[in-house]
Amino acid sequence: MRAVLKIALGIIAALGGFLDIGDIVFTTQAGALYRYDLLWAVVLGTIGIAVYAEMCGRVAAVTGRPVFDAIRMRMGFGLGLAALIASTFVNVLTVAAELGGLAIVLQLLFDAEFSLFVVLAAIGLVVVVALLPFGGIERVFGYCGLLMLVFVATAIHQGPDWGEVAQGFVPSLSDSKLYLYFVVGVFAAALMPYEVHFYSSGAVEEGWTESNLRENRLNAIIGYGLGGLLACALVVVSGYLFHPLGVDPTDLGTAALPAQGAFGETGLLLALGGILFCVGGAAIDSSFAASYNLAQFLGWEWGRYRGPKKAPRFTVSWLLFLFGAMLIVLTGINPVEITEYSVVLAVVALPLTYFPILIVAGDRSFMGEHANGRVSTTLGWIYFAVIVTLAITAIPLLLMTNGGGG
Amino acid sequence: MRIGWRRYELALALLGTVGLLFAGCGDLSRDELNRGVESLSALAAQGQLIANGVARDATKSTYTRVMAKTLGGEAEHEAEKLADAEPSPGVEQERGEAVRIAGELADLFSELQTFPGDERRGAQVQKQMAETKEEADAVVERLSGEAQ
Repeated sequence: MRAVLKIALGIIAALGGFLDIGDIVFTTQAGALYRYDLLWAVVLGTIGIAVYAEMCGRVAAVTGRPVFDAIRMRMGFGLGLAALIASTFVNVLTVAAELGGLAIVLQLLFDAEFSLFVVLAAIGLVVVVALLPFGGIERVFGYCGLLMLVFVATAIHQGPDWGEVAQGFVPSLSDSKLYLYFVVGVFAAALMPYEVHFYSSGAVEEGWTESNLRENRLNAIIGYGLGGLLACALVVVSGYLFHPLGVDPTDLGTAALPAQGAFGETGLLLALGGILFCVGGAAIDSSFAASYNLAQFLGWEWGRYRGPKKAPRFTVSWLLFLFGAMLIVLTGINPVEITEYSVVLAVVALPLTYFPILIVAGDRSFMGEHANGRVSTTLGWIYFAVIVTLAITAIPLLLMTNGGGG
Repeated sequence: MRIGWRRYELALALLGTVGLLFAGCGDLSRDELNRGVESLSALAAQGQLIANGVARDATKSTYTRVMAKTLGGEAEHEAEKLADAEPSPGVEQERGEAVRIAGELADLFSELQTFPGDERRGAQVQKQMAETKEEADAVVERLSGEAQ
């Protein structure tokens, strides 16, 4: 039981990564458009992120170095800088989208001006980060995000044809460009670079050592497994309710409708609460990831555990990223559109993130007896091949499908 | 001289690009109209679900108000877009119907926004949303049927 309670880091990373505003809308749209046909892409993404998160958690526990250190070390200054610029661009867009998502949910709950909630959400995040220790932040957002389990209960309550649902787990491809766009989107959403940046830096924040390797494995399997299960539940409830009616769920609020249909106002409130904490968790993940990367690349003192006095540049950069993101949302750009583009653009940065992890985690001179075994190496390379393929196809698909608009 | 030619070429390229961009802003084609009416049908379906929550007293009024405002705004925007566009020959009647449907949807969402806690009205709006969706689906069928 104690071991299970220790997996908050994996849960917040997974919920923030799998169920941020873009993923919620992406998976709900995938269900609405293709019913259960894209469930296999969710599972494929879940295994991929679990494999790589385990690797970078292991590297952090054994060497005390987070992912961006590895990127800088293995790829040199030039490519490291390219990775920093690409990931910072995507991270800031993601923080903006999540802040917007928080404001949308607050608006649905309390009905006032959207811009007021954007500012309140940003202030709320600063207060939470200032008051809570790193472990507290993980637990609040990780465990409260579990309210999303209402979507699993909704799927069971709806009682879909489980045979049809099971068929969705069998990989299938189609020549429809829109279908391929959603395959790329669903898969990429699971492997957003900020997840591993946050996860590995979080492991260093928590002072992991080799004695935490079991915890790391549990985090990767249970934390990300749970994120994958909830993403599958979103596809199923959306496929069951929205597909036959022809609903196109482009708004975050629409994603909560199946829970309302199944359990009335209670279901709606649980769903909105779950979305609030997941999106809030993603805002923390992505804003921290942006500051972690910058500080690690430039060799600054970093970490929430050090506090603002010992890591002033890290703290100021975090505040600036959050402030910049707030300004982006206040321009009135739709947060859902921001995140859908950021997910697809992130695909292009994926090889720069995952290649160094694969190399460092497999390096026996660096990792000793904890270097990748045969299974991790094989899975790592298979997934890397998939990542490169997706990186090549993502932008053309984005343009050909008019950003998923068909 | 060489710089002058580069400017000339650049200006031509810009003109070409602008020309290409504006080429897509002419008549409202059958396909574009079809997509517009499909999105109206999707909006009506969402409206049905939201109104169902109101009718069953199974929702939160702030949620209904904000969703109705957002979706009503989308319906209004679609109505304006369709009304402003010049229909291509053969789809004038369908364009007119689409504008009417979008207007009806905007009115229904406005009713939900004003009375988010009224169960009787919720049931009424749900029924009207279903009818409006049927009308939109019929227009889509006509547009795609005639295209074949």
